[in-house]
Amino acid sequence: MSGHAAPKKKVSDMKRLWGMSIDLDKCTGCGACQVACSQENNMPIFDDDSDLPKRVVFLDLMKVTNENDKDAKFGEVKVAYLPKMCMQCAGNDPENPHPPCVSVCPVVATDVGDDGVVSQIWSRCIGCRYCQASCPYEARVFHWWKPRYEGSFQEGLNPDVSVSSRGAVVKCTFCSHIWKRERDRMIAKGITDINAVQYTPACVSSCPTGAMKFGDLKDPQSPVYEEKLRRDPRAVRLVHSIDALRDTNPAEYERRMKIKDFPNPKVWYLTSNEWLREKLSGFKKS
Amino acid sequence: MKRLRSLLLFFLPFVVFTYGSFIVFQAACDRAMSVQAEKLLPFNHKSHVTKYDASDCELCHGYYDNGRFKGLPTVGDCKMCHDGNTAKEKAFFKGFKDTDKPWTSWVKQPDLVYFSHMAVMKNTKTARCASCHGDKANSMTTAKIKGKMPMGRCMDCHTSLKISNACTVCHD
Repeated sequence: MSGHAAPKKKVSDMKRLWGMSIDLDKCTGCGACQVACSQENNMPIFDDDSDLPKRVVFLDLMKVTNENDKDAKFGEVKVAYLPKMCMQCAGNDPENPHPPCVSVCPVVATDVGDDGVVSQIWSRCIGCRYCQASCPYEARVFHWWKPRYEGSFQEGLNPDVSVSSRGAVVKCTFCSHIWKRERDRMIAKGITDINAVQYTPACVSSCPTGAMKFGDLKDPQSPVYEEKLRRDPRAVRLVHSIDALRDTNPAEYERRMKIKDFPNPKVWYLTSNEWLREKLSGFKKS
Repeated sequence: MKRLRSLLLFFLPFVVFTYGSFIVFQAACDRAMSVQAEKLLPFNHKSHVTKYDASDCELCHGYYDNGRFKGLPTVGDCKMCHDGNTAKEKAFFKGFKDTDKPWTSWVKQPDLVYFSHMAVMKNTKTARCASCHGDKANSMTTAKIKGKMPMGRCMDCHTSLKISNACTVCHD
């Protein structure tokens, strides 16, 4: 049972449920999303970014290959690029969605918002790193060093995102500060309906090929309507092998959903490559 | 007597430690929230409200077009009414510039707070300026009226008005 007192009854008027879909066949691996994310969220710059566990990025652009590079023959190696950020996952219970990180946080530094986005408050984090251990996607990063911004970077920091200190866990929040900014703009226009606010995270707006799409999972008009994505044969969710059972064995699917709290990520990957789908979902058909 | 003394000796370090950490936290909290604000001018809100009929706070503390709160007015905002002909005004406009030493605010929130004046003041459920800042319209000095704005006060209002209290509503 989760340690924090989440309100059982939702008091907010928020009806949106933000989600994302990434078409990996369209992704060229240019890395614009990673740059845009780092700039938007005040990511520090370190001398040696090759130290992967100590690198601080919200959005990690991963290179995925089908075989071990050394063993494969020429022409058999297939490569795909995988933009991987926080999947904003939620448990099986839609009334009380708590992802693994929220359940283990001892200081309520991380919480689920009304729009389904898993928030993280850097300043509240005490650096116990339980959430990092519980995260199925390794989406959370820990500040091992004090963030440094060299030269004119200090002046270019985004004032909407607080700068983390050393010893705090940080993560992607679907750029929820942009939502707040857009809400201010809408209210200034006189539109006070909270559901009228639409926004685009930095990574999605920077994607040159339109591979990343962002929107409301519940809205049939949005490009990421969840019911449509569920029926899409190209859609796959990261290490979420339970999805494969939904169509083939519904009874078993129901049984497993009852006994185990699956993360249910809100980021969908689309690909027609069978090897990539197997690799992402962790489920082999054979 | 001896038992009392040993008890006192036992608890003394805890008391000292608690008191010391309280002082440290209090100082850190005060610094983060600008309790020692620097006010360069003896500004009189009441005389401005009565004399210049600035009953609407937004005349000086307004919003930008994109919904951002302007905060403290600039010298240019003062010049909307003051043309700077009298000797006193001349001296002021000569000596005071925005870039030199800007005013500091009593109510600066820490970096992790995204407080939107627009969302609180212009929404369907609205607050009044005085509910957080105190009765500034009738104040004659720049002294602090209401003190710090702890998170509990925000949450009390949110709870009573049935507004969501999720962390993302205000924090980033």
